[in-house]
Formats: sequence, structure tokens, C-alpha cells
Amino acid sequence: MSAGFPILTTILVAPVLGALAIVLLPREARQTVKYVAAFAMGTALMLALYCYFAYDFVRGGMQFTESVPWVPELGVTYAMGVDGLSLPMVLLTALIGFSAVFSSWGTEERVKEFFVLLLLLLIAGVVGTFLTRDLFIFLLFYELVVIPIYILVILWGSSKRVTKEYAGMKLTIYLLVGSAFLLVGVLALYIQAYPPGERTFLMEGLAAAAALGHLPESFQVPVFFLLLLGFGSLISMWPFHSWSPDGYAGAPTAVSMIHAGVLKKIGGYGLIRLGIAVLPLGAKYWAPAIAALGVVNVLYAAFIAISQRDLKYVVGYSSVSHMGFVLIGIAALNVVGISGAVANMFAHGVMSALFFALIGYLYGQTHTRNMDELGGLAHQMPYAATGLMLAGMASLGLPGLISFVPEFTIFVGAFARFPVLSVLAVAGIVLTALYTLRLLANVLFGPRQVRFDHLPDTGGPALVPLVVLGAVLVVFGVFPALLMKMAGSGVAPLAAILDGIALAARMGGGL
Amino acid sequence: MLQDYGAIALLMAVALIFPFIPLFVSAYIQTKKPTTEKLSTYECGVDTIGKTWVQFKTSYFLYALVFVVFDIETVFLYPWAVKFQVMGTFAFVEMLIFVAILVLGLCYAWRKGALEWQ
Amino acid sequence: MDLSLLTTEIVTVALACFVVALDLLMPAGEPRRALGYLTLLGLAGIFVHAFTQYGLNASLYGGMFRVDDYAVFFKQVFLAAYMLTILFSVRTADGFAPYTGEFYGLMLFSLAGMMVMASANDLVTLFVGMELMTITFFVLVGFNLGDGKSSEAGVKYLILGAASTAVLLYGMSLIYGYTGTVVLPEIAARLSASPAALVGIVFFLAGFAFKIAAVPFGMWVPDVYEGAPVPITALLAMASKAASFAVLTRVFLTAFADAPYNWPLIIAWLAAASMIAGNLAAILQTNVKRLLAYSSIAQAGYLLTGLVAAGPDGVKGIIFYTALYVFASAGAFAVVAAVRDETGSDDIAAYRGLARSSPLLAAAMTVALLSMAGIPPLAGFVGKLYLFLAVLEKGWFWLALLGFVMSMVSVYYYLLVVKAMYLGEPAGAPTADGCAALRWAALASLALTVLCGVYPTPLAALASRVAQNFFQ
Repeated sequence: MSAGFPILTTILVAPVLGALAIVLLPREARQTVKYVAAFAMGTALMLALYCYFAYDFVRGGMQFTESVPWVPELGVTYAMGVDGLSLPMVLLTALIGFSAVFSSWGTEERVKEFFVLLLLLLIAGVVGTFLTRDLFIFLLFYELVVIPIYILVILWGSSKRVTKEYAGMKLTIYLLVGSAFLLVGVLALYIQAYPPGERTFLMEGLAAAAALGHLPESFQVPVFFLLLLGFGSLISMWPFHSWSPDGYAGAPTAVSMIHAGVLKKIGGYGLIRLGIAVLPLGAKYWAPAIAALGVVNVLYAAFIAISQRDLKYVVGYSSVSHMGFVLIGIAALNVVGISGAVANMFAHGVMSALFFALIGYLYGQTHTRNMDELGGLAHQMPYAATGLMLAGMASLGLPGLISFVPEFTIFVGAFARFPVLSVLAVAGIVLTALYTLRLLANVLFGPRQVRFDHLPDTGGPALVPLVVLGAVLVVFGVFPALLMKMAGSGVAPLAAILDGIALAARMGGGL
Repeated sequence: MLQDYGAIALLMAVALIFPFIPLFVSAYIQTKKPTTEKLSTYECGVDTIGKTWVQFKTSYFLYALVFVVFDIETVFLYPWAVKFQVMGTFAFVEMLIFVAILVLGLCYAWRKGALEWQ
Repeated sequence: MDLSLLTTEIVTVALACFVVALDLLMPAGEPRRALGYLTLLGLAGIFVHAFTQYGLNASLYGGMFRVDDYAVFFKQVFLAAYMLTILFSVRTADGFAPYTGEFYGLMLFSLAGMMVMASANDLVTLFVGMELMTITFFVLVGFNLGDGKSSEAGVKYLILGAASTAVLLYGMSLIYGYTGTVVLPEIAARLSASPAALVGIVFFLAGFAFKIAAVPFGMWVPDVYEGAPVPITALLAMASKAASFAVLTRVFLTAFADAPYNWPLIIAWLAAASMIAGNLAAILQTNVKRLLAYSSIAQAGYLLTGLVAAGPDGVKGIIFYTALYVFASAGAFAVVAAVRDETGSDDIAAYRGLARSSPLLAAAMTVALLSMAGIPPLAGFVGKLYLFLAVLEKGWFWLALLGFVMSMVSVYYYLLVVKAMYLGEPAGAPTADGCAALRWAALASLALTVLCGVYPTPLAALASRVAQNFFQ
């Protein structure tokens, strides 16, 4: 299949071409800009769906691969490929990117620049990190997205509790400083893995080096720590989480959707793909610490979410809390837990994107995000209310919706290793139910309020995210195998590595 | 290596002593008939009025700079002239270029009015 | 003796004389822009010619002057820096009338000095080249006649520069006194442990740390950068720094490579101090020129890490990074020149709304600054990667970590400028758009920075080849 049509590159290039087309359009062609954007993302979504369903489970491993030497002397290859780990993330990015275009339909200011930045740099960058098999290209795409986010936040963001300049800067600096640690870790790995001349940035190559024993435990432990700092701040692991709620609150709707929905997941994805596959001994050393921090994430963020009044802060802390589950799943270091983590990242991505899309819509209509000032909106906005209910129920893990099975799987996996921590984390679900239900009750239900009567319900373009993401929530909830099979096939190759380290004696991390 | 330094030291000693020889000789053989006029600070010109720490007109410096052009020219022309026949055409062309650069400098100063006293 | 090896230097000096002579012949009061374009054209010719000098690896004057790949590469870097600078300085230079011709002429003379530095293979030639460069810069820094800040900068640069030269010269004399030679390879052969050699090396390093603006010898940088005319600031930041790095690397890797002292450690401390102090001090700046000055101190720190690595990889990092620092700085200073020409101010506030009045200039500035910060996919990222990979390889873990963290800290102050350009509304005053030549400079910088970041292979391959120079 490698010689065939470069489908993954097309997924990457579709938004870029769309953005180039937009650049060439005149500034006044506001509607055309949106159509072009929607078309580009639609193409990417179709291709991503095709890949998802054409993926060959029997064969497993990397498929749709492409490979072009890029910087030969450094061992950088433009290598594309997806497996069961990355494919859900690619699909997620395409889904959310497509929905984000429609959520931004109401953008008034600087429409052209908004879509160029959003499409060209942000979505292409995010999807690129998941498509590539080369660590160098991965880092390239990862840092590529940070600056557009900054500009998007300071230009189109909103200042409520914190100014958008503050939010944007905080988010940017956190992510970049995290990435500095990541970068040093990656370079150390690159140097250690092979002698000069044979070096490669290919992730398979690095994993092979680990299997060959080129990476002793004394090397893996500190380097994994560096990676944990980088990926951990990205996945908003406590105590590096504080950029996340502020950032989401300041960001425009589409950026919140993409950021909470997919960008964060790069952290979890990186921890699995790089942390566990390449540095298994390091992962084993730090696993208890990760699990403990994951539990702190779940409980601490949930408690804070309970006390928030601003809708975006509630969802922001809720997303920090949900990432705790992912961390616990990863720390379980068994196939069940990790595939649960992968699936949960997908589930949470869809759900939080839907949440942010609807909150953005509500805010656009009512000009407030304060829970106390809203109420009874189910009377005026039945569609939006349905969407929020779906997202909320998925958030608290209602069976039949997307996140039930992944979370359950995580707990099954984690309980085997960390019984006490797992029980604590399960308690977090109760807190999640508390703040989610309270949010829904405060905003949607209660007596009809006359002052909201003139507000229209979601309709037209704004309905697209609701339909697309809502449908995914239900379909993947009813047929969990769609997701679990994919995640399982992605994690399956790790089984050998995980069995290998199960025998390794040492386990530390201070716990 | 020490011998090389010895030669330098000897040269320095000679150079230091040499200027004093004419001074001593003249002091020894001269006749002394001092007058008030001879003992004043300036034998010629006028006595200074006020402080001597005054600003000079910058034209002085410009003249000094232009003088450097000719000074350097002489410094390099002299050894060149001595060895001219040994060095041949190459050195001749080289010196022409050198002089041309200096002439450019002079033309520049001239054109920019460095030689005019306002 | 093959004089054709000296073509680049000879043509540069001839061009300088020609420009000065032409300036004399042109009637006073007429615009001198043609001189700028003539200079540009001449430099472009020399640049192209320099390609033919790769692979020659010849010596002149009994080994005092080397035309090797390393020297040729650096000459091309200087030429690129000067070409870009001249492109964006034509309008600034118009403001120097009636001394526009001299401005171009002096620039060319300083370029000739740098070329000599790049090729110098003995301490005296090196010193002569450096003085030619420095003395012309003393004049050029104070070229904004009637502007107190410019004159102050000129005098400051003169006094501090002279002091640093004295230190440098003292160091050289100690090395000469101890080894009895000034030719670099012979120094390497005769150097052994002694207090004189140690003090000589340290003084030499201190003298050049002044030129490259490393902490603590870079205290002159903010004031001089702020006061000097924008094109000269740009040249000080790009070309003068590059020339000094060319010398520093050559001397340390040929003459002092086997010196029985752990000089990489000293340089590592210098690099660390520069990265930390430069980046932290830059955060507080409100004047873009001062901001770029502190940032250039930090950049000197990054470049020094390549010298710490003291191997082909490190040299390659230095070479690669120098080239793309030139590309990035040219773009940044082009925008500074445009804003300065139009508003007369260098404050960050003057950049408000630039993205609306001139999207190209705003984009060029953004890309340039982010490249200096090392954000992919811009060239600066690849450059830092090469530098820090080289030191990591030698086991300098803390230095690489510090470098990366400090680069990310630097994003903060670079983004302040970006924010002003994209967020603010133009303050009513006429906004900068620059003249056509300036926009070309900005465009070239933008294109080169992105290109070298996305596809670094050609430049990296050249850098690898050049870096083998000292290790055959």
C-alpha cells in the first residue's frame, strides 16, 4: 500500500491547500472563505474516515505508510503512517477540525486571517503530529501549533476572569517550556540510541534500539522524567495543569475545541508512543508517580470544578480531571489499561469539543458564561440542550455513550496494579457527576426565563458540530467495539514490551 | 632566542643614549648670554592672553589628517625607491595602486572642502 | 603567490574606492540611491564569485592568509548580511545626505576587514582585519550626526572597543612571547602549560567575548545598538558577530585545540551567563532595538555552545546558526528600519497595528523573531538542534537543557512585539510600509528563514563540508 496514493499526506495537505486558497481570496469574500474552509476540512474528514474503516486489523501495525528521506545526515525522514494508536487521534482531529469550522461560522472580525491561522497552522499541525512516524517531524508539528494558538487567543479570545493576553501568554509559555524539557529528552535519546552515522529519528528505530538494549535503565529513568515534564504539561498533569482552564477560558470557541479535544491528547499519545514503547524501564520506574499524579488530577480538578461558576472553567477543570483517568490508564502499564487510555482520549476529545462548541454558542447568544445568570434554556433551545445533555452524560460516563467503556477499561487495567489509587479515582466519577449535573441543571432546567425568549436555538451551520459530534458520541457508545478494537490493535504490539518489563525488578518513583 | 632579545636590548640602549649626546655636546660648547626677551616663554609671536586650554578649530585636524596622507606616502615610497630596481614591475604597479588610493583620499578631502579655511 | 585568491578582498576594496570616487563625481544634492544599488550589485557579483573558491584550500603570504572552505563560507555569510542590509538601508542612507556615499564606502571597508578576519591564519593579520572592521564601525555607529544618542553610542563603542582591543592585544603578545610565533598552526605545536599561555588564552577570549557580546563583556551592546543607525546595528549584530565567531572558532580549534587547559569549561560558563542574562534582561525592554540587543547577547550564548563542543559537529552548528541568524536578523532589522523611518521611534508601542498597515512586514518580523527563539518549522529550530546536539554529544547535558529552556523563555519577549503588531490599532500616525527595496529584504529574510527550517538539507550539507576544515 505504500506505493499507492499518499492518503495521509493528503489529509495533512488538505487544510494547508484550503488555507492557501483563502489567502488568495479577497478580504471581502467572507462567506467564500468559510465555504473553502469547510470544504477543505470536509475532505480531510472523509479521508480520515476512509482510513479508519479501511485499516486492516488482521495485519495491524503501521499502515498507509509513506517515507521520503528529509534530512539524511540527521536521520530525519518524512515518514507517515497510522496504527491503532494514532488513527483514533487522526479521526478525532478531523472530526473536531470540521466541527470547529462550523462553530466559528459567526466570526465577525478578521474572518480571513482567522480561518487561515486556524486551518493552515493549527489543524494541519495537530494532525501532523499524529500522522508522522518520525520524532523530529513530530516535534516540528507540535511546536508549530503553539504560536498560531497564541495569536488566535490574543486576537479572537475573550477576557473574563483573566485577560486574553494573559491567558494566551500563560498557555504559550507553559507549553513551550514543557517542550524544552521534551526536546532535551528526545535529543538525549537520539544520541544514546545509535552511534553516529546510524542515527535515526524514526520512532520504530528508537524502539528497536531499546529492544537491542542500547538504552540502559540508568539512562531511561532521567530521560523519561524529561519526557514526562514535557508531555505531562501538555496533558495538563498536576502540577503543570494551570494553563489549561485559563487558556480555554481565554480562547475562542474553535481553539478551545481543538485544544481540549485534540492538542492535549498529544501528551498522552506521546507518553504511550515514546514513553512506553521506547523507554519501558523508565516508564516502569515512574509509573507509580504518574498514577498518583493522575489521581490528584482526577480529584483535585474535580473539586475545583465544583466551585466554578464560569461554564468554560467548569469544562476546563473537568478536562483536567478526565486527563487524570488517561494518566492512570497509562500508568497501569498493561494492555487493558493503555487501550482504555487511548479510547478515553478519543472519547473525551469528542465530548469536550461538543461542550465547548455549545458553550461558545450559548455565550454568543446570552453574552454570559456565568452559571448563575443562566437557567431554563431548555425551553428556548431544545437542540442546544440536547447537545449539552449528551456531552454531560458522556462526561460522567453514562453507559451507552462513548466514554463508559473506555473508563471502565481503564479501571479494569489499573485495578490490577494500583488497587487503592484506582478506588480513589473511581470516587472521582461521583464528583464528576456532581459538577456536570449541577451545570446542566443550572443552565438548562428550571423555570422559563423571559429574557432569553428572543434567543434562537442552534440552527444552520452551528448545528453541524452538534450533529457530527453528538452522532459520534452515540454511535461509538452503542458500538464500543468500533473504538476498542482499534485502540486494542494499536496497543497490542506493546504487549511484548510490557511483559518484558514486568519481570524487571525495580520500581520506584518514590512510591 | 635569548640572543635575539639581547640584540633588541642593545638597540634600545643605543636609541636611548643617542639623543642625549647632542644635547650634552651643545650644552658644553655653547655660550650663554641670557636676556629677558630670550627667557620669555615665546621667543617669537605674542604672549598668551587667558587660558591656553581652548578649543581648536577642527580645520587644524583636517590639515593634520591630510598631512598623514603625504607622510605615509613618503614612508613607503622611500624604501621602495631604494629597492626599486630589484623588485621590478610588480612593485611598480603595486606602488601605483597605493599612490592612486592616496590620491583618491586627497581628492576626497579636497572635494569635501577640507583644505578650505572658513 | 597567486593573487587571484584575494579576489574577494581586492574587489571589495576596489568597489569601496569606486563608490567613494563616484560619490565625489556626482553633483552635490542629487539622490545617491544609485550608489546603494551599485554596491548591492557589486556585492552580489562577489558573492557569486566566492562559490568558485570552494575547495581551493590554498595559503598566501607564507601561511598567514588562508582561503579554505571555512573562510569562503564566512565571507559569503558577510556578503549576504551586507546585501540584505543595503537593501533595507537605502532610505535610511538617504537621510545621511550629504554623507550617503561615505556611508556605503565605509560599510564596504568594514566588510573588507571582516573578510581578512575570516581568512587570517596568524594573529597579526587577524588583528589588522579586526581593526579595519572595528574602526570603520566606530565611525558608522556615530553616523547619525546631530543625534545625541548616536554620538554617545559612537564614543562608548570607541572607548570600550579600544579597551577590549588592548586586552586582546596583550593576550596576543603573551602568546607570542611564550611561543615565539604568531602563525596559528605553529602556536598549536609550541603551546604547553605555563601561566603566560593561560593568561594569554584568557585575555584573547575576553577580547573576543567583547566583540561577540557575551556576558559579562557585552555591557556596551544595549546602548550602542540603541544609538547606532539601524543598518549599522544590524551589521553589528549579524556580520560583526559572525566575523568574530569565525576568528574565535578558528583560533581555538587550530591554535588552542590541544592546549593543556579545560577552556571549553570557561566558554560554557560564558555561554550560560549570556543565555541567562541576555534573555532575562530582554524581558524588561520596551525599546525594540534594546530588546534585539539583549537578544543578540543571548544568541551569542547559543553560538558559544557550539564552541564548547569543540568538534566538527559544534563547528557545523556555529556555521549553520550564524547563517540563519543573519537571515533572521536581516528581516527583523528591516522592519525596525521601516518603523524607524516612518515614526521616528523604536518603542514597541510604535509597532502597534503593523499587521494591518503592512502584513508582509509584520509577518517577516514575526518569523524572524520566532526563528531566533527557535520555534519550528523555522530555521532557528534546526540551528539550535545542531548546536545543542553537538554539546549533548560531548556530555554537556546541563548546557543543552539551559539552552532550550532559555530559548523558550525568550519566546515571551518576542511575543510581546508580535502582540503589539497584531493586536494594537495603529495610533493614527502614518504607518510603516517601507520602500520597495526594504520589502524585498523582508521577503528574502522570510523566505530564507522558512526554507532553511523546512528543508535544511542543502545548507546543512554545505555546513558539514565546511566544518571538516579543521579536522582533516
